[in-house]
Amino acid sequence: MKTAFFHLMPYPELPDDFPETHRSVWVDIDPKLYDPKVGHRAYNDYIDELEYAASVGFDAVGVNEHHSNGYGLMPSPNIIAASLSRSCPDATIIVLGDSVALYNPPLRVAEELAMLDGITGGRIVAGFPVGSPMDTIFAYGQNPSTVRERYHEGVDLITKAWTSDEVFSFNGKYNKLRYVNVWPRPVQQPHPPIWIPGGGSVDTWDWCAENDLVYCYLSYFGYKAGLATMQGFWDRVKELGKEPNPFQGGFAQFIACAETEAEAWDLYREPAEYFFNTCLHVYAGFADPPGYKTPNTVRAGVEGMVERAAREATARAEANAANAKAAQSGQAKPSGGAKQISFEEMVEKGYVILGDPTQVTEKLHELATNMNIGHLMALCHFGNMSKDLVKYNTKLIGEKVLPELRGLFEDEWEDKWWPKPMAADERQLPDRSASTLGVSA
Amino acid sequence: MSPSTSRLDVGGVDTVVHRVGSGTPVTYLHGMIGTPPSAPILAAAAGSSLQVTAPCLPGFSGSAPSVLTRSIHDWVFHLSAVIDALDIVGQPLVASSVGAMVALELATVRPEAFSSMILLAPLGLWDDDDPIADAYATTLGGQRRLLTTDPTATESFYSDPDGLEGDELIEYGVARYQTRTSAASLAWPIPDHGLSDRIHRITTPCAIVWGDQDAIAPISYLDRWAKALPNVSATHTVAEAGHLIDWDQPQAVAEIVAAAI
Repeated sequence: MKTAFFHLMPYPELPDDFPETHRSVWVDIDPKLYDPKVGHRAYNDYIDELEYAASVGFDAVGVNEHHSNGYGLMPSPNIIAASLSRSCPDATIIVLGDSVALYNPPLRVAEELAMLDGITGGRIVAGFPVGSPMDTIFAYGQNPSTVRERYHEGVDLITKAWTSDEVFSFNGKYNKLRYVNVWPRPVQQPHPPIWIPGGGSVDTWDWCAENDLVYCYLSYFGYKAGLATMQGFWDRVKELGKEPNPFQGGFAQFIACAETEAEAWDLYREPAEYFFNTCLHVYAGFADPPGYKTPNTVRAGVEGMVERAAREATARAEANAANAKAAQSGQAKPSGGAKQISFEEMVEKGYVILGDPTQVTEKLHELATNMNIGHLMALCHFGNMSKDLVKYNTKLIGEKVLPELRGLFEDEWEDKWWPKPMAADERQLPDRSASTLGVSA
Repeated sequence: MSPSTSRLDVGGVDTVVHRVGSGTPVTYLHGMIGTPPSAPILAAAAGSSLQVTAPCLPGFSGSAPSVLTRSIHDWVFHLSAVIDALDIVGQPLVASSVGAMVALELATVRPEAFSSMILLAPLGLWDDDDPIADAYATTLGGQRRLLTTDPTATESFYSDPDGLEGDELIEYGVARYQTRTSAASLAWPIPDHGLSDRIHRITTPCAIVWGDQDAIAPISYLDRWAKALPNVSATHTVAEAGHLIDWDQPQAVAEIVAAAI
């Protein structure tokens, strides 16, 4: 099994009363809440944390794309990946990914990922999400009825641009290009491995299964809730007569590790509550624009991951508002309104895997084997965690947990979806000599 | 004529067409939630002196969705084909919201399409200082409350009918989702496809009708349309009506139409 340190890059200083005083952390979050100096510090801390993870045993570092989002400060994952491509000289860099339908033309994605693959000597995973409704439909104004068609056309264009050895014309519905000619070319041939982050669309299961793409479920809600979604994917794989190679699956999981379980309960409560109660305060009205779901997904009654988060957050906000109103008028507090998700509930339901290294190892082993997951996106930073705490969590996981899991699936299955970089002795490493940097000795 | 619903192939799109009433022929083109058989405007027309033909655009109210309707031009070409196929070119038209927007676009290039137009809170103009509300940044229930003054007026669209179970119930929900998808695709992200650049070409006489409690398109847009359209025959404000005027006040709309044509 391979594990990536995956970062969401949340804004760390949203006000305590954010869920009560603001409608949503996503799409229409108040611009006045953003302090550029806080952002400056956060970006640099977060890049430090990714670099640190690569130095303590993680196989990869992972980044993703969100827009107008208080819990995701990466509108461009490629910018962060570019920074990491030099500072993490050996790790795989998983860009999970570029929302293809938002680029015009999506050839830009082919070019930037080829650049990254070139700089890293072939250590890039290319992730292509459709993107959440909040990102694509509301923040970027894409028409929900055409975003998936636009996305698939974009992926076709990118893969053809990477693999064609001739200049070609592309006459798509959304992209009209007389001359397609990506310079530079990716190091990995025919192209970097393609992973598809999914949120619950049944058609994405089909697409990944049929085309031998990695299906990566980036869930907020942990391994217990994610089992049904991953099982849906594996069912499709089996129905198509294909082998359930665990390396064709990926999953994201929050992890809170400490020397003792008691210490973990103490250390991670505040950042977990910040993430689940503040960062996931998403307005339900942004979760289900008509046309974003495919008819098959509507028919199957599958609720997407962000849809669930938004529904639950809005229900909490409405219950809290009703409670406040009742309290104001001197009435008894209505029942059923939970102010927040408790840390105990997060752990019990598996949103967060918590414990000492042995306990975390056992639970991750259970996660990987039950869900048949060969690629784990470990969320070792969450909420407003301090850099010191992230490093503590990361080091314990990297040095005490991952060595116990690394061999999982490796003997039985080939990971056909992991980058194949240039040989180490062919790869050029950053020249950090003082003379190159222009620093006098 | 007793109410009837039939299906017609228009350019490969299986198209639902409702017909109701007897008397002066008039075409009705729906707004954001289509024309289900339960649409109150059909019942109101049945008791009037109007003979209504109500085609449903792709994806609305059981008409098949079409992958060919990607841009406003595609919708306009399709509506043009619909009125040809139904042989209703040159009839008066009553059109609501997004349907009115498509019809107005058609009128810019095909002046003979409609002899007159009665526009019920049309979309298609936009003022940054007085924006049209987003009917989709909300929940299903929230949208329902936005579209009409009386949310129970749209009960037959937003609520599942009694007695449906299993696959029938699922398909009912899928059809509702499809109607909302088609409407959203016309209004997304801003219901302005450049009509203001070509609105001067519309020679068709137009009456403009607005609900006094329209929560989607503020009533201030009535004046904008009146100034922008070259040939305005009348304007009307309907009391206690929201954006879908003919769902809130079908009788009032039927009377305006009967008097106008």
